[in-house]
Amino acid sequence: MVVFTCKDDFESMMTCIYDAWSARLGHSNIRLQTEPIEMPELFCQYCYVEADSEKTQKVIRSIQKKISMEAYKFIYTAAMSCDTDKLDKIYRFVVTGFSAGSRVTSMHGIPAVSSVFELNRRITNEAHHFKEFIRFSRLETQVLYSVIEPQNNVLTLIAPYFSDRMPSENWMVLDRNRNLAAVHPADQNYFLTSLSQKELSFIEGTKDCQDPYVSLWKTFFFFFSVEARTNYRCQRNFLPLKFRKNMTEFQP
Amino acid sequence: MKQLSSFTLEEKLQILSDAAKYDVACTSSGVDRRGKSGSLGNSCAAGICHSFAADGRCISLLKVLLSNECAYDCKYCLNRRSNDKPRTAFTPEELCSLTIEFYKRNYIEGLFLSSGVIKNPTYTMELMYQTLFLLRNKYKFRGYIHAKAVPGASPDIIELTGYLADRMSVNIELPTREGLHSLAPGKSHSAILKPMTQIQHKIADYRLSIGKSAFMERHFGNQYLAGNIFSQHNLHDLNEKNPPYLSSPETEKEFLHGISPAKAYFAETTPVSSSTPSAPLRSNGAPRPFVPAGQSTQMIIGATAENDFELLKVTQAMYQNFDLKRVFFSAYIPLNEDSALPAPDTPPPLLREHRLYQADWLLRYYGFHAEELLSPDRPNFNLLLDPKCDWALRHLELFPIEINRACYQDLLKVPGIGNKSAYRIIQARKSQKLDFPDLKRIGVVLKRAQYFITCSGKMLYRTPIEEDFITRQLTGEDRKTAWELEHPQTYRQLSLFDDHFLTASPTIEDTRKSLSGQL
Repeated sequence: MVVFTCKDDFESMMTCIYDAWSARLGHSNIRLQTEPIEMPELFCQYCYVEADSEKTQKVIRSIQKKISMEAYKFIYTAAMSCDTDKLDKIYRFVVTGFSAGSRVTSMHGIPAVSSVFELNRRITNEAHHFKEFIRFSRLETQVLYSVIEPQNNVLTLIAPYFSDRMPSENWMVLDRNRNLAAVHPADQNYFLTSLSQKELSFIEGTKDCQDPYVSLWKTFFFFFSVEARTNYRCQRNFLPLKFRKNMTEFQP
Repeated sequence: MKQLSSFTLEEKLQILSDAAKYDVACTSSGVDRRGKSGSLGNSCAAGICHSFAADGRCISLLKVLLSNECAYDCKYCLNRRSNDKPRTAFTPEELCSLTIEFYKRNYIEGLFLSSGVIKNPTYTMELMYQTLFLLRNKYKFRGYIHAKAVPGASPDIIELTGYLADRMSVNIELPTREGLHSLAPGKSHSAILKPMTQIQHKIADYRLSIGKSAFMERHFGNQYLAGNIFSQHNLHDLNEKNPPYLSSPETEKEFLHGISPAKAYFAETTPVSSSTPSAPLRSNGAPRPFVPAGQSTQMIIGATAENDFELLKVTQAMYQNFDLKRVFFSAYIPLNEDSALPAPDTPPPLLREHRLYQADWLLRYYGFHAEELLSPDRPNFNLLLDPKCDWALRHLELFPIEINRACYQDLLKVPGIGNKSAYRIIQARKSQKLDFPDLKRIGVVLKRAQYFITCSGKMLYRTPIEEDFITRQLTGEDRKTAWELEHPQTYRQLSLFDDHFLTASPTIEDTRKSLSGQL
């Protein structure tokens, strides 16, 4: 068994798929994995693949041409997952896709397809949760600033939505688990950047603690619920506790 | 009573959100609108919830009253004239800045504006219109706005508001004319239905002017459902002289006759086609959208004596005659004491409300009719089973359904299969035969579906298609009794101490001794 490994970003993953395919070792004799590899196996040869933009372009182009645009979106979303096995699942999906063509995205009965579909569903659901539950707070510089701690790398999935929602505002969303931020200057495109610990603590320090709308929102939130219908279980179902850490209305 | 001006913004928000919370609708759905540089906000047709309150209801819009002063004295309402409450009102500027700042922080998806009746309905609507106008034009807000149309307001101001709002709603409050008369003496059914008809009319105008059909879009699955409540012969054309629903049997007439779109109103106004050119245009020449997300209504459950069948029939009639997007149900919560109302300690009928919503979904997404789900002999829903399971158990002759061959409409009748899974089944079976594990991956709830389906001629287990058996399985009664029979409470946790025969409880001295280590 040969295991192709690569870094956990989209470009490396596409290059890895290219190299694994062109090695011509037979699909059942290879496996693909993203680093870090927690527990190397015996009788396995590990082969590290470095990102290469030309190979990435080729893979993306052939997925879009030979399968479909929809399949490419599937693959991109699945690649943002936190699942350790995602790259192998994507590879199996691509293999099936090249033989089945554009029909592949609706062949839910096939395990190679349904596993990528499942990844896709998880990530899209999480991204949607963050569209709902992100809370911005004002910095002293009037920038809107938000912190999230998602399981999957959802920044690139939610940033376009917020660019559309607030095109003429300065805002940034920080993924604390990955130290990655989506920054959107007013009336420009957003960009991704990684932040150092120092920059982070600087930003946290400039939070505007006097924002009157925070307490107004808490008041509204508190008075919104009808006592006679109180149902905390239902609330937890819709709004799991893990999201509440960074939400204004649940801060003391 | 305090003076209006003496309240701070926070106190006002507290009073006016507290007064608005008994309105159930808080959806931000029905319209897709992209953002625009220089403005704030967009809108997403699926709707986005931003938080969930302690009662599990979603908070999607800033739901407040413009003012809680009210000229009416409806018995069930918190803000009725005869209640001694602090009264206050937002200024349009205050409301705009609240909406904009909340929106920027991603707290809300937009504004839900309702109001008590100040002076008279037209004056109230004018105040609401001013707020919306400021919000849309001065603050360049492109988010969602839901506005209430106050019955009795002049048609002109309702029309103007409609060009600014995404959704409008008029509450019919109580499903029967008698109920309304006894609990809301200031309101009348015809006054409530008049703005509803007017809005329906104008929506149809707008939709025709941009080349769409006069009726609102429904879920795409409905096109495959023959005879669903929205299909053409079931919808009633606006220009039709004699709407067919009035020729229904006497019993239905009794509680539906309030719901006929006041024929007299149609006679007064010009027909749809001739009023089309008067629709105002945008600067680029395109017609201005009028209430693009459609209108909704709500009714109170449990304050009067209607049964579920009547409620569901009214709901269906509302969808068909007024082309509503949603009908909401609100379990009655006792707020006031009155001889005409249920006792103040009555618990809100939450399960009944839930069953009605389930049935509402069956009407809008599954091609069911009110008459299929309930009948005059069985006028109420089964509290133990959901309406779809209940229906399936009464129609076992149609089951089992073969997954690999059945059409979309038949698949949807199976409990445990919804729109998404039915659609995925149809897609997936083009390339391969489906089996139970595949169905599980697709998202079918086999716990319920297994009694009603076959895959390639086989059921999942050898289960009889028998009403009593399946009912017991679905309600979980069987499992519970079987468990109790198999596991009687005869065992006991092992203990080192011989406390089986302990007669006297330990004395205070014993406790002291055990603390100091003597015992």
